[in-house]
Amino acid sequence: MSDIHREEEPAFAASTARAATAVTGAPQKSRPAGGKTRRRARQVLLFIPLIGLMLWTLMPFLVTLSVSFKDRAAVFANPALIPDDPTIAAYREVLSSESFLTSFMNSLIVGVGTTLLSILIGVPAAYAFARFRFRGRHLLLLFTLLPRLVPSLGLMVPIYRLAVATGMLDKRITLIIVYTGMLLPLAVWLMVGFFQQIPREIEEAANVDGATLWGRLRYIVAPLAAPAMITIGVLAFREAWNEFTLVLVLTSTPGKRTLPYELYLMQGVEGIANFPGEAAFTLLTVLPFVLVYTRIEKYVVAGLVTGSGK
Amino acid sequence: MTATTLTKPDPGGRKPRKAKKPGQDSNSVLGHSKAAPYLFSLPAILLVAAILGFPVLYGVWQSLFTRETLGSPTEYVGFQNYIEMFQSPAFYHALNRTAIFVFGSLILGTVLGLVFAFALFRVVEKLRFLRAVTVAPYIISNVAAAVMFRILFNSQFGLLNETLEFFGLDGPSWLADPGLAMFVVIVTQVWTDLPLTILVLLGGLMTVDKAYLDAALVDGATGWTRARHLTIPLLAPQLLISTVWLSYSTLTGLGVVLALTGGGPLKATQTVAMEMYTTAFRSLEFESALAIATFILILNALLTLVYVAIGRRYEYSQ
Repeated sequence: MSDIHREEEPAFAASTARAATAVTGAPQKSRPAGGKTRRRARQVLLFIPLIGLMLWTLMPFLVTLSVSFKDRAAVFANPALIPDDPTIAAYREVLSSESFLTSFMNSLIVGVGTTLLSILIGVPAAYAFARFRFRGRHLLLLFTLLPRLVPSLGLMVPIYRLAVATGMLDKRITLIIVYTGMLLPLAVWLMVGFFQQIPREIEEAANVDGATLWGRLRYIVAPLAAPAMITIGVLAFREAWNEFTLVLVLTSTPGKRTLPYELYLMQGVEGIANFPGEAAFTLLTVLPFVLVYTRIEKYVVAGLVTGSGK
Repeated sequence: MTATTLTKPDPGGRKPRKAKKPGQDSNSVLGHSKAAPYLFSLPAILLVAAILGFPVLYGVWQSLFTRETLGSPTEYVGFQNYIEMFQSPAFYHALNRTAIFVFGSLILGTVLGLVFAFALFRVVEKLRFLRAVTVAPYIISNVAAAVMFRILFNSQFGLLNETLEFFGLDGPSWLADPGLAMFVVIVTQVWTDLPLTILVLLGGLMTVDKAYLDAALVDGATGWTRARHLTIPLLAPQLLISTVWLSYSTLTGLGVVLALTGGGPLKATQTVAMEMYTTAFRSLEFESALAIATFILILNALLTLVYVAIGRRYEYSQ
């Protein structure tokens, strides 16, 4: 089919939308279309992949949600998506289990710790890389390359053995330090880009007015860099909350594990799989994110895109 | 924080070191002590060196050793561990599984990523909600994703087999069948990785100059031709990023496989990453596992170079 008549969109022609606006969802001009029926047909065609995207992304959540509100027998007896006789027994069971509560606390502590440490260490470093010329500045390039070259898989054995050798096994602080170290390259990279966008002249003016370095950081740089810091915080918390392969080797005693490890064990412990329990555990793990999701989503996107490449 | 000790402004303003090119950053204008940049960046550099740099080098070094029994002192054996690795049938089996896992995920991830990115691009003004949905898998841990997909693909009550049954088809036991388990692993892995691919490709679509598309329209190019000969070549940089990412994430990914199948059934999903894990933490042969880990790191770097080389060739030279 020839699309020539359809595409009457002069306003659209020369506009070169940038990736950044795409990702932050800046509104675009709507596209007027040709014939009515063809528009209909096009819209339907267009919605098929969009519905596909919805199904693809949300179906795993929906089936898990459905199973979490059934009892163990009903999972098999009544596979329908809408539970016949919904029950919150699985949630009660998980919420009253020692393993969930302690691992939830551990995840929370490790998550918050990683977030704070990443910001505390990452932000000054990024500021130095962005603003100062000093020997060692070229290390920044290495910072950007390292995460691509060193996956957590390559760290499993060495980090485990170093932790054994230094007696750091089974400690939450070990997890915090390791996760922070893994996240720092991305955090610094992200912040450097951000600091470079803050006009140097603002700081120079403040400097002329007698502001000290600390004063400038406190009253000029920090407020301007707040969104980037939130992005780093969200990324750090997500990493600590979801990380699985390293917590698997760095912890062994029941009271020290984080949520993913405990969920992993849940699959193996019982003879017959406790599907409602696992489902409820999974959804409760996701819950903290869901509660703040609409607020943090744009920071997640920003961090995700920045971390993708370059 | 030691920052307060750094706040003394330089008395009288320091003389700039030598003459600086105009436009070059100059420290003196911002007035700070010479130590400040080092104090600021040192904690980060040290921590990254300690957590990422040193352990990997230590691991590569340790892969050149062996020990008689667990706990006995190590003995330098050169590349013995690597020679044994390359002589082991289990390694080649794992390599074969990994190839299927990596390239299967690459194909599925790229196709789905392109379809979804194109679809989102067309409704970009309503992007906010759809984007939130798109990113959702990113906040899920690999283990949680594995639980979800084990429910979805369950042979007795999973939605997929229920749907097949509705159409009169007999759904297979996805995770118990050696031929199908890898498919489930690929789908789960792609599900967790797709948000990034979609966003990167969508960002690319946004930057593609509409002038090219309009020129193609004037020449009478239809939807598919445009996509095939214009949009996708213009997306080459973004496709490269998503390929490198997907390949990295599958080659070095352990979480999904371990939590979903643990390498089974009958070692059908025993990837090289799983092989490294079992060698280290089941057989407790740490030095041999480090040889496998080093192999994976090198393979990852080589594959990245290959992708970059291919990507260069397909990019439009302006």
